[in-house]
Amino acid sequence: MSTTTSPAASVPTARTSVSATQPAARRTRGNKLAQWGFIAPAVAFMALFFGYPLVRNVVMSFQSYTPKTFFTGEAPFNGLDNWRTVFGDDLFGSALGHTLIFTVGSLAGQFGIGLALAVFFRRRFPLNGVLRSLILLPWLVPMVVSGVVWRRILDQDTGVLNSFLGLFGVGDATPWISSPSLALFSVIMVNIWIGIPFNMVILYGGLQEIPKELYEAAALDGASAWRTFRSITLPMLRPVITVVLVLGFMSTVKILDLILALTDGGPADSTQTLGTLTYQNSFVQLDFGAGAVVGNVLILISAVFAVFYLRANRSEGK
Amino acid sequence: MSPRYRHPSARKGTTIVTAPPSGAAGRSRRRSISRTTAVSLSVVGALVAGSVLAGCSQQRDPDVYTVLNSSTDESFHRWDAKTLATCSEQLGIQIEQQSVPAAQLKTKALRMASSKSLPDVLQLDASEVPQFAEAGGLTPLREAGVSDENVSRSTIDFGSYKGEWYGAARSVNTLALFYNKDILDQAGIEVPTTWDEMREAAKALTEGKRYGIALSAGGAEDGVFQFTPFMWSNGGDETDLGSKNVAEALDYWKSLLSDGSLSKSTVNWTQADVNDQFMAGNAAMMINGPWQLETLNTDKDLHYGIATIPVPKAGEDSVAPMGGAVLTVANTGESEREKTAAKIINCMTSEKEELTYAINSGMVPANENAAKAWRAKFPELSAIADQVETARSRTAKVGDRWPTISLALQSAFQQALTGKAGSEAALDAAQRRATSGE
Amino acid sequence: MATSSMLPAGKSRKQRRSWGSLAAGIVILLIMMFPLYWMLNTALQPKAGLVEVGWVPTHFDFSGFTKAFSDQGTNLLTSLLVAAGAVVICLVIAAPCAYGLAQFRLPGAKSIVFGTLITQMVPGIVVANALYSAYVSMGLVNSYFGLMLADASLGIPFAIILMRAFMVSIPREVIEAAEVDGAGRIRTFVQVVLPMSRNSLITAGLFAFLFAWSDFMFALTLNTTDAVKPVTLGIYQYIGAHVGDWGSVMAASVLSAIPAAILLVLAQKYIAAGITGGSVK
Repeated sequence: MSTTTSPAASVPTARTSVSATQPAARRTRGNKLAQWGFIAPAVAFMALFFGYPLVRNVVMSFQSYTPKTFFTGEAPFNGLDNWRTVFGDDLFGSALGHTLIFTVGSLAGQFGIGLALAVFFRRRFPLNGVLRSLILLPWLVPMVVSGVVWRRILDQDTGVLNSFLGLFGVGDATPWISSPSLALFSVIMVNIWIGIPFNMVILYGGLQEIPKELYEAAALDGASAWRTFRSITLPMLRPVITVVLVLGFMSTVKILDLILALTDGGPADSTQTLGTLTYQNSFVQLDFGAGAVVGNVLILISAVFAVFYLRANRSEGK
Repeated sequence: MSPRYRHPSARKGTTIVTAPPSGAAGRSRRRSISRTTAVSLSVVGALVAGSVLAGCSQQRDPDVYTVLNSSTDESFHRWDAKTLATCSEQLGIQIEQQSVPAAQLKTKALRMASSKSLPDVLQLDASEVPQFAEAGGLTPLREAGVSDENVSRSTIDFGSYKGEWYGAARSVNTLALFYNKDILDQAGIEVPTTWDEMREAAKALTEGKRYGIALSAGGAEDGVFQFTPFMWSNGGDETDLGSKNVAEALDYWKSLLSDGSLSKSTVNWTQADVNDQFMAGNAAMMINGPWQLETLNTDKDLHYGIATIPVPKAGEDSVAPMGGAVLTVANTGESEREKTAAKIINCMTSEKEELTYAINSGMVPANENAAKAWRAKFPELSAIADQVETARSRTAKVGDRWPTISLALQSAFQQALTGKAGSEAALDAAQRRATSGE
Repeated sequence: MATSSMLPAGKSRKQRRSWGSLAAGIVILLIMMFPLYWMLNTALQPKAGLVEVGWVPTHFDFSGFTKAFSDQGTNLLTSLLVAAGAVVICLVIAAPCAYGLAQFRLPGAKSIVFGTLITQMVPGIVVANALYSAYVSMGLVNSYFGLMLADASLGIPFAIILMRAFMVSIPREVIEAAEVDGAGRIRTFVQVVLPMSRNSLITAGLFAFLFAWSDFMFALTLNTTDAVKPVTLGIYQYIGAHVGDWGSVMAASVLSAIPAAILLVLAQKYIAAGITGGSVK
């Protein structure tokens, strides 16, 4: 796929050069070293900043890691005790369920709306760039602040959302975040709001990479807008879509600060996710071992997801 | 400095460099790893070299003493700075104040403990003392030389764990019933003293957008703090959440909701939200604490009164929770520094400093003499002073298990209030959850 | 869709359409911005608390702003400096790696991509906890450089994944051609690959900036004094253990969004101009 669609401008130069690469074999060894040089700093950085904490987190889940540990440095191994505690807790199952609903719901909303906006902003109109960049503004607001603002907007009695809906005679005091059956939905809604700019910007960047010639050809063939979207935009955008979804998944599944700011996991644990559970275990109860277990479950879930990503990548490479 | 300082962090330093770049990526790259490591090492080396130039090593400055608290907001920070300036002059030492957001204080202190960079004086919420004391992170105050002169028995208990005194309170606070005088007068309603009266009053005061009462049933410590006076005054106990007495207290809260005199948003509110609602005139009464006085007094048109929290039956004792922060001496292992830390605490809890602090913050001084002076100065706050005298500490009975019980309890009352479960079933489940870890 | 610009439609019709799009764009923006408007609205009516705010501020009260400006000025500068430093570190480290993973056929490259993805899952607080001990021993606590490094870590895995996805589509032939012309690997990278990937570089840089700008965890963890205090920490000047001065908080948030918003508008111009988009215009 990718060979047929590579930017037209660069293809001619490329053709002529194919036969001229024989001295490369001699340089292979030096080459490899130089090549690793490109990658090594990032790998070292990630090992420092993520690899080490990750390993520590895994080890911690098999230890009795309590406040005492911080003072004595001793964290005796306790086998599967932490795992048993966590899996034995009724909350774990429901938190896992909430996490999945939250992730799927958020991703669907963010991606759908983000893609629609990205396509919309390909149109040429005045102030396009300014509007497009201002949409990123919600990102600049600290979560502790936007959490409070949203809490007030969604308040059942005094919230502006309900008074706005009231203007149309609907939404009679909807308990957005004060009812266990609606709270998860509302939190997803706010998270979609937060995630749209990210999705839009990346997808818009991807759309810009698609050669205009393809659209011209489609227009000449008289393809409908929907058909053009399905047979040119979507397939061409696939690598970027995968990236957006994977990164979105990774940051959504572990969500913590938004939920803490909005509902604190409540009411009645209805917005309790694995993220808030690990927070409660580690930083409220100070049972760091149990917190690490939940953290590891999260990491495991995303490892599975990462494998899918790599699979998707491999099929693209051909 | 001494090897004790270097030890744990130095060991971690080596682990960083030799750990595989990431768990899963390690094996497949084993062959080329030596080269990678060489490059990584040089990168790390460069970073370290850069950092040595950039900043000096993090060790305790022998001349500077630090106080870690959660007074991030401007006014509390300023009051503490003033007190510390006085103490600094008095003791001839340099004192530094570090403030971190309240929710992060515990973790921050633990992290500092692991790198042996604990502050000298650590201000904790009293309910956090057991967790730290149990971990061996605190030095007993009497051992360090903190004076308990003129400190009441209950205040000592408040900062104690397993019979040892760890936390010296400067002031204590509690919950009380705040009411809007104008609204009550207009409706011709007396300040309620019993549950029935409060329920009737709340019903009568509910009108249009205004609710009769506001309280916090939020899913965090705020909500549990507010539930305790109802639970305790009714004879309930945190060691037995499944008891009838606790369920009755919860049913009482539910009755306020079903009467429509309490907003359903109560399950989302923190105590600060409750105060906002009260100030905006959306609630005629509220359960809250004296730390709101500063904010309440900014509105000159708001006339409010304070009463003790109503009790189940007339004549019973109103048992409210005792709250507030305490000053502890962190176990730094250096007895000389700890002795100085004790002197700082003695200065901060001296009658004069305590009174100033208490007047500023609206809380009741812990020192008995200072409390008398405070009472004389603020007769209108006597309900709070009365409530403090009978107030009960959350951790006295359950110690470092309090956070677990608190989590179970908040989940239970939220389930009952939102109709997800009946009071008794929810509380039974909470009791099981609270004791499962034992 | 994009076809609109290709159709030989009449100029006036095209213009009308573009004004219609502008109107639609503004509506979208208004919906997306509403919570921010509400923030501004609250900031302008500090007296009202957060409960009783009117739809529009009836009397403007800038006291929240003047207070926030005088309190947070330095913190804003710190935020800018740290975020900018983090972007530089992030791109310098991530771009070569993304290129290597996309174009070199290295054994184990796949595992590195996998590892990079997994890093996204390590909870921030776990990283912060581990880093603190390491930073103490390296003397990086309370230093600008230390916070920049840590904040860069928020963007690096993301930047690698993003740029790699873009760089995979650079035709091998282009790179080989440059090398045949005698350019070394580094020169090829700097003179051919980077300009071609300008689009993704700026996008990655932008997000690295936003990640660093909104960081709270590292700023809190890796500082024990007020020496390096970004605005996310500074805002706590108005939020205490018991009380919150929400008018000032909102004002500070609005203020802190302004410099970053200007940067966003500037960067956005480049984001639009991709390789192909640029050649067509």
